Amino acid sequence: MNATAKSTLIPRFQTYLPILLPIVAVAAALVVGMAVVVAMGVPLGQALSAFWRGAFGNAYAVSASINRAVVLALVGIGFIIASRAGLTNVGGEGQIAVGGIVATALCLMPGMQAMPVGLSFILPLAGATLAGGVWGGIAGLLRVRVGTNEVIATLLLSFIAVWLLYWSVQSENMLRQPMTSAATLPESLPIPATTQVPLLTGSYSSPVTLGLPLLVVVAVVAAVMLRRSLYGFALGAVGLNPVAASRAGVSVGLTLVSSLVIAGALGGLAGGLMLQGEQYSLKAGFSSGYGFDGLVVGLLARGSVTGVIAGALLFGFLRSGGISMEMAAGVPSALVNVLQGLIVLMIASAAYYLDRSSSR
Amino acid sequence: MTTELVALFLGSSIRLAIPLFFAATGELVSERAGIVNMSVEGMMLTGAFGGAVGAALTGSPMLGLGCAVLLVLPVAILQSVLTNTLRANQIVTGIGINIMALGLTTLGYRAIFGARSREVIPGFDVWPLPYLGDLPLVGPLFQQIWMFYLVVIVIAIVGYVLAKTGWGIALRAAGDDPQAVVKSGAPLLGIRHAAILFTGVMSALGGAFLSIGDIHTFTEGMTNGAGYLAIVAVIFGSWKLWRTVAACLLFGAATALQFQLPAFGIQVPNALLIMMPYLLALVAVAGLAGRQAAPRALAQPQ
Repeated sequence: MNATAKSTLIPRFQTYLPILLPIVAVAAALVVGMAVVVAMGVPLGQALSAFWRGAFGNAYAVSASINRAVVLALVGIGFIIASRAGLTNVGGEGQIAVGGIVATALCLMPGMQAMPVGLSFILPLAGATLAGGVWGGIAGLLRVRVGTNEVIATLLLSFIAVWLLYWSVQSENMLRQPMTSAATLPESLPIPATTQVPLLTGSYSSPVTLGLPLLVVVAVVAAVMLRRSLYGFALGAVGLNPVAASRAGVSVGLTLVSSLVIAGALGGLAGGLMLQGEQYSLKAGFSSGYGFDGLVVGLLARGSVTGVIAGALLFGFLRSGGISMEMAAGVPSALVNVLQGLIVLMIASAAYYLDRSSSR
Repeated sequence: MTTELVALFLGSSIRLAIPLFFAATGELVSERAGIVNMSVEGMMLTGAFGGAVGAALTGSPMLGLGCAVLLVLPVAILQSVLTNTLRANQIVTGIGINIMALGLTTLGYRAIFGARSREVIPGFDVWPLPYLGDLPLVGPLFQQIWMFYLVVIVIAIVGYVLAKTGWGIALRAAGDDPQAVVKSGAPLLGIRHAAILFTGVMSALGGAFLSIGDIHTFTEGMTNGAGYLAIVAVIFGSWKLWRTVAACLLFGAATALQFQLPAFGIQVPNALLIMMPYLLALVAVAGLAGRQAAPRALAQPQ
């Protein structure tokens, strides 16, 4: 009697562990964060209220956090799709950057702003998605054709893309606005109003963009695809055992390449949304931090789309709150980096034991 | 005129390559032991921070250097425990450490220096070698901070140890066939722990060179990808010491070119030159520049 109670209790604890772990990690990181705030001599109440105002204070703050979360969620969903196939996509930063570059180029293309029925903003978004897909696909092809580790390839491609972005806003032959004086900033012209992604409320005081419903669609499609579709099954099979998958008739190469194309495409779409829905002109460093934040979100989610959405919302609000805390309470927003790093390390260090206990 | 420019170019190529020499040599040792130590970036940043804080507080750059090494130890031990003891994913933990190091050094710097940021701190001066430093064309090669001469010696020692000694064989075996090391009775985990500590110390020296050797100040996130560049140098050097060193030199020269080319009247976009190391490395890992020779058990826990 006692023994059976024990044996049902332990598996139950183990099934909840993957969900419990991120919650514990996030909570522990938040406690550390508050301790750091106190150690810096800032009154905790003041810091927390600044954080609250930045994250949830008004419609604008909430909207900005949600827009940030949409970007992180897109990158994160891409990350878990590639990781289902056993690949680690660390190139989110670069995929966002190429998405932003191509979106800007298309938005500023003569004739684009006059396109009918919303094509004026849909085409640049589609271009951004395509560009990100190509960027991810290069890493996929390298992996399949010559066996290059995709971590190294996506990382290198990421640096190349970030400098490509720098180049395109520094050079007038590319996307830099015409130099009228020495003070002309190294950034692109602002994109025309018709190429901007529409705001749901139509008002700049609560600028949630069409990106939110778009993300919901992407998330539902991704969740169904991962769980129910043949392709999702193939991804999992290749991730678990490529040899067995290939014997079972799965095209391993195609599955690997396509998973990175999808991951890259979602990164590119995120870049397009950032540019056309928020920033409206291309600047160097425009993708800064988003790629790694998205990677962390994907990592936290441990393969679940719902987890990605939860993590993205968490980091979206955490970043916004962190920025406000820096401005209003003088706590550097670098604190958010510390918390993120802590969360990653806690989850990653438990992962080996989790995977081992779940496979037994 | 032109000779002066060439000499200046050679000198600054070396100067810009020095942090990479340190970090890449350290990373090479880890990778040959089978560990992708992605946290080089965070370790360099910790070193740069430790060096700057130590030098500013004590007034002595030498103590600053000691501070850099001391401060990197917890980072290296953390990486080592995570990868070797807890067998966590090396790449993910490396990135996690980098994010955290960026946050902690920024917080620490603001807390210690506050409004006095970007202040000039005591640093090392150039030590021209007698006679060699006065040579016409190649003189600037020998007008460097003493850490350059140190790294040359360390590289020579690492080369000798890796190639000729029992330690080197055990270390390389740990990267190629960890099970064989276990069977031989050599302490696999000990080797891998030691390799990561070595990488940590070398990265810290490279990072400290940036802050107290080269520019005598600390800025937030000042390594700005130098650690990743060191990893790229190891890959581009196909995991061989001399080629890795050559890769660092090449990357240093590419960076120096962006300041030098305008002086020669040649207009090349800056971004292209900064991008060059990554492009070259991508070509290298794509196998267009010869067969890859990565350690067989790279990134795999025993």
